[in-house]
Amino acid sequence: MKFVKTTAAVLALTATPFAFAGNGTTAEHIQEAEAAFKQVAAETSYQWTVAENAIKAAKKALEAGNDAEARNQAHRAMDLVEATKLQATLESEAWKMRVPK
Amino acid sequence: MKTIIRNVAFGLLGLSVSAATVAGPEEDRKAFQKFYENRFPDTPVNDFQNGVYSILPSAREQWEAIEEFPPYELFIEEGEKIYHRKFANGKSLADCFGPEGAVRNQYPQWDAEREMVVTMELAINECLEANGEKPLKYKKGAMTEVTSYMSYNSRGQEINVVIPDDPKALAAYEDGKEHFYTKRGQLNFACADCHMYTAGALYRADTTSPAFGHATSWPVFRSKWQDMGTLHRRFAGCHKNIRAKPYKAQGEEYRNLEYFVSYMSNGLEFNGPAARK
Repeated sequence: MKFVKTTAAVLALTATPFAFAGNGTTAEHIQEAEAAFKQVAAETSYQWTVAENAIKAAKKALEAGNDAEARNQAHRAMDLVEATKLQATLESEAWKMRVPK
Repeated sequence: MKTIIRNVAFGLLGLSVSAATVAGPEEDRKAFQKFYENRFPDTPVNDFQNGVYSILPSAREQWEAIEEFPPYELFIEEGEKIYHRKFANGKSLADCFGPEGAVRNQYPQWDAEREMVVTMELAINECLEANGEKPLKYKKGAMTEVTSYMSYNSRGQEINVVIPDDPKALAAYEDGKEHFYTKRGQLNFACADCHMYTAGALYRADTTSPAFGHATSWPVFRSKWQDMGTLHRRFAGCHKNIRAKPYKAQGEEYRNLEYFVSYMSNGLEFNGPAARK
């Protein structure tokens, strides 16, 4: 039963990933990645340093006028946030298997 | 990135998922300690209080030599001065914790009134603030000097963390337990991965220490830091290593984790401060 529940959780997550809205500007993509990062942190308390670093790098690149790099980093950040959320969902049950009995 | 997500998902799906038996703290502790006794049969149970040196004979001799001229000695002396220094109101930390501060075995403790875990560091700052003094930083500095002095005077006391029959205390314990066994960060590690299931293994050049005994020796002078640090400083360092953003020192997450880790080491002696690699 737990296996079924875990599988369902994984499928649900992969079916509803974070996504950028339409063809927004790079600044908007950075904002969306940052909002997703904060949302996952608030909902799960999980935060990956690499996701936060990618958001910072995106902002820095945008300030320096390097739009392509900024966009690339924003998308990388969003991917990392999505992986963070997946980890949090799976671990909400999986940790119990590691408790010695 | 898709590969990472796929690997995480399928790795977990591949595990045999079974209903976890809900065990009480005492059953947890017995199973926890038994695990280490089985994994390291050559280590006497009481020796786990010496951290990685309890399972690493090759480094033990060098560590014992360091302990003969301990790098934390000056911290104890400074801590003694701070401990007895008079506050503006004429009182001192001794008014909160007694003449020598030998109260290590009273922490971490469950505060039923406030429904929270109170650690020794938190209690020190609460004493300072109650007397109109500025609180100390939680990871290093003067806090480690005060706790060095108090821990030194508490050496030999037995860890005896109590989880009272109170649902909220049990919830705090369970929260710490979940934290210990939960994978975090981009590297997907749980505390238990390094310090339980692969304790004694090499991660790059470092051997991971057993979690049984993790609560005994703080504060610690780490060669890597060239400084003293608190347990919560170490928690944060571990989280950074696995690319997880650390929680706030003395925040609820780390206090509950300390509650669990300390309870798991019940029966060992406090032997801090100590030197570690």
